[in-house]
Amino acid sequence: MSQSLRPYLQCVRSSLTAALAISNFASQTSERHNVPEIEAASSPELLLNPLTVSRNENEKVLIEPSVNSVRVSIRIKQADEIEHILVHKLTRFLTQRAESFFILRRKPVKGYDISFLITNFHTEAMLKNKLVDFVISFMEDVDKEISEMKLFLNARARFVAESFLTPAISAGTDQILC
Amino acid sequence: MLLLDYENVLIRSLLTERFSGAPPASLDQIVSDFDGVTFHLSTPETKTKILISINVKCFRELVQYGAQQVLEREYGPYIVAPEPGYDFSVLIDLENLPDDQTAREDLIMRLALLKRNAMAAPFERAFDEFAQLAEEASRYTSESAPAGVEEGGEVMSIHYREEEAIYIKASHDRVTVIFSTVFREETDRIFGKVFLQEFVDARRRVLTLQNAPQVLFRNDRPLELAGVPGLEDSGDGKISYITFVLFPRHLTPQRRHENISHIQTFRDYFHYHIKASKAYIHTRMRKRTADFLQVLNRARPENEERERKTASGRTFRVQG
Repeated sequence: MSQSLRPYLQCVRSSLTAALAISNFASQTSERHNVPEIEAASSPELLLNPLTVSRNENEKVLIEPSVNSVRVSIRIKQADEIEHILVHKLTRFLTQRAESFFILRRKPVKGYDISFLITNFHTEAMLKNKLVDFVISFMEDVDKEISEMKLFLNARARFVAESFLTPAISAGTDQILC
Repeated sequence: MLLLDYENVLIRSLLTERFSGAPPASLDQIVSDFDGVTFHLSTPETKTKILISINVKCFRELVQYGAQQVLEREYGPYIVAPEPGYDFSVLIDLENLPDDQTAREDLIMRLALLKRNAMAAPFERAFDEFAQLAEEASRYTSESAPAGVEEGGEVMSIHYREEEAIYIKASHDRVTVIFSTVFREETDRIFGKVFLQEFVDARRRVLTLQNAPQVLFRNDRPLELAGVPGLEDSGDGKISYITFVLFPRHLTPQRRHENISHIQTFRDYFHYHIKASKAYIHTRMRKRTADFLQVLNRARPENEERERKTASGRTFRVQG
């Protein structure tokens, strides 16, 4: 793990753990409704101050807490257009499977690549610290995965190009022979 | 199988089976090949006479560049009038095959290479033109050469797919082959760029590839194609031009056959590997998603205490 990644993840971990102090809270605006307040945003007094943790301008995490839900949005590093397309493909792949991920939001918050929405029902059914672990390990693995895919693509391209051009080598030896 | 075969494998296996002395059977099969080429193998009259027809999108252009002569050279006695709807036909009589086994195999191979041979005409013409220009050029010094020799021959264009074409130009010291290719979507464009960049760099990086043809690629129209009509720059980088510069060492008569076949497979090879990488990345993401799910499932607490039983199978029940 690189020098700046560790404090970055540590900071996200503690901020997220703190933000996850959420409890059941029924809607104030409509009777017998219980909605994530961070999404509904119907009463400003139920929303807490959003918090951004940035490693650099390309990698940051936005944590938006409220009384009964927390929205976590991650911006994944994209150094060039290859990484950009790989991130896009991966996040699309994940969001299409949002149902099995429970806490994954189908659409990322604007300016971020992927968002999670954790409500009090999730924290009741699942262990809170493990949920935080999941977000952290997700952040670690996604970067690793993207760079591995990029390396694979380059390696394959190199191999493919060399083997296509290789039969032409004998052209040179023929020349020497005759 | 990293490199593609030059021949059509289905035609080869069909004919190998028919030539092996198996009882003749009627046949009516349409075989597709790359670049929208279709073959039709049929036995219209008797079961022993196989008619093989080919339909190529750009056959008229190919004829213009001497495809008829090339095909006559390859298939001379077998040629018949083209079947309606197809461009070129050959008729093979199974009762009248060469006796020699190797000659038979050679015939099968030649028939399976029908598409390659049809497409080879402009290449052969360019190679001949090169030989002629090289000879002319050798009579002059570089200063005194007349304009025609320096500039080289006309650009031959073969529109072998809807939006894509091959352009071939002969000069006195090289033959330039330019492929134009269109990427349907953004991912293909970026993957294609990675692959093409490696094609360009391979020659510089690997010592043993010093003798390979030079490869260049760009998104705007290369200078060689300056005067070619019907080409507009799309401006959005969807069209790429890949240039292969074949030097005299690639154009020797010994290398000719092999090199023409090889360069024809370029587009299919290139696009195949883009698709294959996409497929691989997809399976990889699938696996990674499963891993993520596993981590998430760890957050679920272990199931609550299960019902406990005594050794005899009775259960406890809390009295309410």
